[in-house]
Amino acid sequence: MTKLIIKYLFLIFAGLVYADPFESTYEPLPSENILIKNANIYDGEGNEFLQTDILIQDRQIIAIGKDLPVNDEFLIIDATNKWVTPGIIDIHSHMGVYPAPGVSTSADGNEATSPVTADVWAEHSIWVQDPQYALALKGGVTAFHILPGSANLIGGRGVTVKNLQRNTINSMKFPDAPHSLKMACGENPKRVYGNRQQAPSTRMGNAAGYRKSWIEAEAYLSRLIEYEEKSDEAKELAYKPQRNLEMDTLAGVLRGEILVHNHCYRAEEMATMINIAKEFNYKITAFHHGVEAYKIADLLAENNICGALWADWWGFKHEAYDMVQANIAIVDQALGGKGCAIVHSDDAIGIQHLNQEASKALSAGLRAGFNISKARAMNWITSNPAKAAGIYEETGSLKVGKNADVVIWSKNPFSVYALVERVFIDGATAYERNSDFQPSSDFDVGIISPNKNRIEE
Amino acid sequence: MISINRFALAFLLIFNGVLSSESILIQNATIYDGKDNEGFIGNVLIEDNKIARVTTTNLRGDVVIDAKGKILTPGIISTDTDMGIVEIGALSVTRDDSSDLYQIGFSIYDAFNPNSVVIPWNRSNGITSTLTLPQNTKSPIGGLGSYFVLDSNIEKNGTRDVVMIGRVGGSGGESRAETFAIMEDLLEFATSLDSKDMQSYKDIADLIDDSPIAETMELHPRDLKALYKLVNEDLPLIISANRASDLLKLIDLKKKYGLNLIIKGAQEAGLVANQIAKSNIPLIINPINNIPESFDELAANIELAANLEELGITLIFNAPRSHNYHWIRHGAGVAVANGMTYAGAIKALTLAPVEVFNLGNRGQIAKGKVADLIIWDADPLQPSSMPEKVFINGKDIDLTSRMTRLTERYTKNKLKPNGYRN
Repeated sequence: MTKLIIKYLFLIFAGLVYADPFESTYEPLPSENILIKNANIYDGEGNEFLQTDILIQDRQIIAIGKDLPVNDEFLIIDATNKWVTPGIIDIHSHMGVYPAPGVSTSADGNEATSPVTADVWAEHSIWVQDPQYALALKGGVTAFHILPGSANLIGGRGVTVKNLQRNTINSMKFPDAPHSLKMACGENPKRVYGNRQQAPSTRMGNAAGYRKSWIEAEAYLSRLIEYEEKSDEAKELAYKPQRNLEMDTLAGVLRGEILVHNHCYRAEEMATMINIAKEFNYKITAFHHGVEAYKIADLLAENNICGALWADWWGFKHEAYDMVQANIAIVDQALGGKGCAIVHSDDAIGIQHLNQEASKALSAGLRAGFNISKARAMNWITSNPAKAAGIYEETGSLKVGKNADVVIWSKNPFSVYALVERVFIDGATAYERNSDFQPSSDFDVGIISPNKNRIEE
Repeated sequence: MISINRFALAFLLIFNGVLSSESILIQNATIYDGKDNEGFIGNVLIEDNKIARVTTTNLRGDVVIDAKGKILTPGIISTDTDMGIVEIGALSVTRDDSSDLYQIGFSIYDAFNPNSVVIPWNRSNGITSTLTLPQNTKSPIGGLGSYFVLDSNIEKNGTRDVVMIGRVGGSGGESRAETFAIMEDLLEFATSLDSKDMQSYKDIADLIDDSPIAETMELHPRDLKALYKLVNEDLPLIISANRASDLLKLIDLKKKYGLNLIIKGAQEAGLVANQIAKSNIPLIINPINNIPESFDELAANIELAANLEELGITLIFNAPRSHNYHWIRHGAGVAVANGMTYAGAIKALTLAPVEVFNLGNRGQIAKGKVADLIIWDADPLQPSSMPEKVFINGKDIDLTSRMTRLTERYTKNKLKPNGYRN
């Protein structure tokens, strides 16, 4: 909250230079006050509570405990033998910007026309009728972070959305979620541009590319600050620096307002990116994909950088050759458990099964000799991605006062046989198995048979 | 825990060379035999690389493994892979899965690399053999897959060209009407071939010169030989297709030309499930894939496996061609979560591919079958489970992989400088 106040004070002070022109207009679904009774709970904070109640009022979690009393205005859901978790959050999705069907006319995730496109925003590519959102919702996903692709060194801004299909992008945006910046190391940018005989064509070309951009951004920001710090009288005499979309984004990173999400596979490249971040005094929030993160797990923990990782993807590129299934666990356990591990999907199938991917990563960690509880592994798909998306104060765990983003599972969510029975977003039912709450996009309507939706339970 | 009789272990260490003559008894295992039977607790005796007995009564063995509380299944057969022919996806210098020259008769057999790091990793995850397939060729029918048993890192243990592949549907470019026309022209030509006209290379070259379709397609004698085998020797043909209308057309082609047809993908099979059931066409599906990835796959549905099983359709599972072929276990688990029977899912991973592709005396826990067996640390359909023991051809396989080595390098012995660890 304090952060927000500071932010707004700053905006007023700065003459609203950075007012967000695409502000969230999200409105939640109609909600009820709900008591979920007798559930087994992973709270997303590393705790497990058995046969415990959760009370939801005015869209918020207001209590967790045994035998919570309620009056008859509450909807009571018996969750005996069921499991409850926070809504699952995916920190790496391309839904909407690479929607299904994967046709060229909607493949809008990579502005691969220049290696630095900090001016583009993923949210301006999103197709709101992507039928994949509803599939992810049935996997318990209540919010996700949509990123541009990895063709570019600096690919543009990402956006965090609530998993509720709406007819405008603004109305899906997670209110007050910070913007993010997608950066990419390694093979992709050097392949895309090297094949065109232009820079970068090497990893050293990649590094030079980021640094040149940050040098420009530093100069832009200092001109801006110089102007902002003038008195009102002096401002009238001076020219207001002309806005530059690319530099707006990079300056936002340097000011600490925009979170850096960095696609990077190899250990030494991640270390190089940490050096560059220090050189220009910005923070990297998370390395994404990081197949070699386990090789520098302590370095990531020391620098407070999350590893957003797959359980076991590998081999599709040389930089993804050194996979170990304990990667996530090793990152989690760095510096005696100070690491920040996230299971991400980057995939419209994977996003539906993040709980099972987490279970794979957890088992690999146990086999490697770590002592990690299921309750802690649940953080990998809830609170840790919420922190990396900058929405942890609102969601990501079942803490009193947070948004009621809640999933009820038929069985322990680390089992492949667990099905999502019900999903609440902001205390409202967004999906319920075998009920009328079956979300679908316009794309699904009448497309196979005029009288039916594409899939019906 | 698995306990090996100490005396037997010492014997093993001394007489490693005569390992195969030792009998191995796996006792008290919960057995899923691969033949859609429910699990039962029993004992399995391995003798001379084969399963000698499967019984609930007590047996003796030279080596005894107690598998109480553990699930025993046949080795898992991965039926749609590029294992051994692609090392790194994005590095063309490590890929041997395509040909610009040959089409129908393009065989990947000679390219197979038994030393690929992909193999130990998949083996340690329960894959004991692979049906390795090339990429689709220019021809809508064409490209030959081979079968490999993964029991060795050096020697190739394979069966050449056991299946042909093909494709139809929204690949862009040609109309699917053209694709079907090419298929029919090729099949008509193939049925006109007589073995006595195909004795010499020159004869075959002449046949090609006289055939408009063979000439247009720029076929080689190698292609024609494969085409002949397809229609005259009942070679299994896997066609990738998804749209319901394409599946119906393929049913017609199977009838017309007597093809031994298998359909892969089949995302819209649920819309024409009764017709598929009647046609006896087995399907290769990825049960976890419910994405309408193209306009051919609009009916993609997480309940597909369960719906098809209910009609008695033979199912085999695949996973993306992506180095992790054991993901078919996860797919099978998702299929069960969404209504498929457990034993049916195990069968789809084991006996079903053996029966469909005639892969020999494997894929089942029964007397006389080759001993490809796995003792699991937990339910094999949980993606978090791993094998504790893998037997291929009766051999107890070392489950070390590059991945387990790298894990040890970064979790053990950390006092040594990185480059000097094991």
